[in-house]
Amino acid sequence: MTALCGYVLSEWYDLRDLGNPVQALLDWINGWGDGSTFHWLAYVVAGLIGAAAIGLFLGIAMLSLIWIERKAVSRIQIRYGPNRTGPFGLLQPVADALKLMQKEALTPLAGDKYVFWLAPVVIFIPTLLVFGVLPFGPKMTAANINVAVLYIVAVGSATPLVIFMAGWSSNNKYSLLGAMRGIAMAISYEIPMVLSLLGVVLFTGHMDLNGIVQWQQKYHVWLIVLQPLAALTYFISASAELNRTPTDIAEAESEIVAGYHTEYSGMKFGLFYAVELGNALAVSGIWATLFFGGWWLFGLDRWIPAWLIFLGKMYILYGALILTRGTLPRLRIDQLLDFAWKFLLPLALVNVLVVAAEVTIWQENGISAGWVLPIAAVINIVLSGVLIVGYTQTFGFARRQRPRRARLVTDTLAAMPQ
Amino acid sequence: MTIQTEPFIVNIGPQHPSTHGVFRMRVVLDGEKIIDADMVVGYLHRSLEKLAEERTYTQNIPFTDRMDYLSAMSNNLGYCMAVEKLAGIRVPERGQYLRVIMAELQRIANHSMAIGTFINDCGAWQTPLMWMFAEREKILDLFEMTCGARLTCNYMRIGGVAFDIPDEFLPAVNGLLDDLPRKIDEYEKMLMENEILIARARGVGTIPRDLAINASLTGPMIRGCGIPFDIRKADPYAVYDRFDFAIPVGENGDSYDRFLVRMAELRESVKILKQAVPALPGGPYKVDVPLSVRPPVGDAYARVESPKGELGYYIVSDGGTAPYRFHVRAPSYINLSVLREMVIGASVADSIVALGSIDIVIGEVDR
Amino acid sequence: MSGFGPVSAFYVLAVLSIGSALAVMAARSIIHAVLFLVLFFVSLAAMFVLLSADFVAVAQLLVYAGAIGVLVVFAILLTPSRDRRGMETKFVGPGLLAGAVVAGTVVFIAFNTNWDTASNDFPSTVDAIGQALLNRWALPFEIASVLLIAAMIGAIVVVGGRGVDLDTHAAGPATRLVRRER
Repeated sequence: MTALCGYVLSEWYDLRDLGNPVQALLDWINGWGDGSTFHWLAYVVAGLIGAAAIGLFLGIAMLSLIWIERKAVSRIQIRYGPNRTGPFGLLQPVADALKLMQKEALTPLAGDKYVFWLAPVVIFIPTLLVFGVLPFGPKMTAANINVAVLYIVAVGSATPLVIFMAGWSSNNKYSLLGAMRGIAMAISYEIPMVLSLLGVVLFTGHMDLNGIVQWQQKYHVWLIVLQPLAALTYFISASAELNRTPTDIAEAESEIVAGYHTEYSGMKFGLFYAVELGNALAVSGIWATLFFGGWWLFGLDRWIPAWLIFLGKMYILYGALILTRGTLPRLRIDQLLDFAWKFLLPLALVNVLVVAAEVTIWQENGISAGWVLPIAAVINIVLSGVLIVGYTQTFGFARRQRPRRARLVTDTLAAMPQ
Repeated sequence: MTIQTEPFIVNIGPQHPSTHGVFRMRVVLDGEKIIDADMVVGYLHRSLEKLAEERTYTQNIPFTDRMDYLSAMSNNLGYCMAVEKLAGIRVPERGQYLRVIMAELQRIANHSMAIGTFINDCGAWQTPLMWMFAEREKILDLFEMTCGARLTCNYMRIGGVAFDIPDEFLPAVNGLLDDLPRKIDEYEKMLMENEILIARARGVGTIPRDLAINASLTGPMIRGCGIPFDIRKADPYAVYDRFDFAIPVGENGDSYDRFLVRMAELRESVKILKQAVPALPGGPYKVDVPLSVRPPVGDAYARVESPKGELGYYIVSDGGTAPYRFHVRAPSYINLSVLREMVIGASVADSIVALGSIDIVIGEVDR
Repeated sequence: MSGFGPVSAFYVLAVLSIGSALAVMAARSIIHAVLFLVLFFVSLAAMFVLLSADFVAVAQLLVYAGAIGVLVVFAILLTPSRDRRGMETKFVGPGLLAGAVVAGTVVFIAFNTNWDTASNDFPSTVDAIGQALLNRWALPFEIASVLLIAAMIGAIVVVGGRGVDLDTHAAGPATRLVRRER
């Protein structure tokens, strides 16, 4: 078995890492002519392959996500979900896409035509860009940037502007209201997100995602064990950026119809919907990469292709997003902003403080990793448990607001106030 | 130094996923805060009260179904009680017990839907709604078993009920009653201490006690303010005085208290049913009343505790086969009158939650 | 910056930057102007990438396109709409003159400066920036953060100076029965 692995390893047909065939292709192109005239062609081909792969993956992923989301949410609600279009409703995404494409895409007459058309197009861009830096395998990152972690936050910060574009150009008060709420929320939640990612960067010393995965591989640990507070804070703030329940105040369906995309119909709305799902997948992908080991699964990636492991983790963690969507009611905008500034921000700051202290002690004194990591893990887990439980018990709503049940009165005449 | 913002008039409804029907609210917003609200009703006005003057008393019973279409049995009950009071008809024992059983089942069904849609308005994407609908489905199946219709039952008649219960009714009801306490426990566990729900509903749509009394609110609205006014205890009708049950009251009069009151009323209804179903006597379920009954000249007002509040029927008879005047005191309409006080100063999201907690049915508001 | 890729990218980005900057001035509607401004910021970020300054590029995106764009948008939204119309102004002539003077000065200085270019094999810029900010330039860094805190406190004073009004969220006389915590 090992001999077979040795034979297959890192050859172009080693499909455990799809970067191998691509690399072989590029080397072959580079070898044309006299070795350096066609470098530009290799550059262009590399870019094209990366872009095409991401685009293709995203398209298929969004179709699959529509089905997964509807089936999972309906099972949480004790109903069947789509089961008529194809076996088990598997053709439902196709039906949805066809339905949206054949609908009339209305443009409001008094709105801003160009911005209205541009918003759904531009909202797709951050999703594509984020997927471009996720490491699907050891050599399968479309663009291995040195500052990938900060880059993810930076392209995500373009989303509030697009929401504003959509809300403004609809010439509709509901849409504008939804857009303003969405922007306020998005910029508030960027801060805890950056701080939690800062904890990760401090601990691993890498800002590029492949480096972080390889750090986890080197020390044989998943970062969630070492940084539970950062993981939780990142998850909550990133899912708040996604405009999904419990934080979908910008498109609260039962309140302001559909918020910033009320006026969109047809495929424009389809793009908003698809991007919401794609962003959710991107968040679960980032969570998988940073905290759950990415494409590395305790050495199993020798037999199972690394990109399959990564896809599996991404989809399993997407289940966490579906669970929160299906069960929790929606928070009001001021409660959401309170939550970001008064709960997540202090927690993220404390996390950065503790992590910085741990890393300094580790690096300055040269203690071996075998001692530092378990101790750090225990400290972090205990600290995060204490902080979260203590905070919610003292400042949360459920603690302060009693009674639990309505008071039962049998003797009504005596209880009637005079 | 203040920032000048201009007030913003937003129309909520009439077509809106959560105005519980065609109800329109014009709110004047200052940022996110509502500074004035104007309610426009009448989109579903079908002039039922006028139409009823052209039809015989028995022909009017289906009209009452369609007013509060979510609790048809209580509507029927109130109307039949009013006509019986006018005509001096006594309903036999079995008829009374069947009426109580159907009314309490209707209460459970209605509250399941009311709580579910309330939490839907708070934003929970229909999950609690679907869970509670499972119970409501079983009750609607029972109704269908008995009178053939799930929603617009048309079951009560002047002098009793329309049909006797079929054989499979009692085992089904007993099965349901065994199941329900467990299910209610499950819902309580899921919903009661949910932090987000408390954060959304606590302090939202608060009604002070004297406003509640002065505006003649009834039902869970006034019981949420701490006043234990329930017609089943205050002015007992049918055979309610034979059963032992309590009245849940809240404390503050906000949406969360009304939600707690409705959850507790589910349990109380189960308690009443567990006393009523075994005690169902035999005998006739209806007295013989002519098809076009002519009550003597006069007027009568009868009221029942419908799940939404005090449902009253005021019937004036001139001796003919059709009522001279048929007026309904619709609880939803009267409860809706305090909406303006509830939402001023709150945000748009809060106003939707407050509206959901009143539990209105536009069929009743507009008639 | 040699090679076909970077050079062609530079020309494309130059056209994009100058074009969007001109469009900011020429746009009819103020929202279009803001959006072109954001496009300008993004193309500047791409220029930074060309110069291998990856951290600065990402910071440019995050701060300018993300935060300052949103700031300008909010400023526009909070202005009463009657003050937003009427984009014509009498200062077009003097404005263009002043712009030409400034541009001329900058171009003159740019051509007469001795730019020393860094070598191509630069270590990670994040590292270098971090070291610089916390070792050599620590004091200006801290002063900048004090400036930010002052701005935040100023914002809180401006908005919250009316006092926290608990009554605004409850309906009138209900506050004597229940105090709504926020």
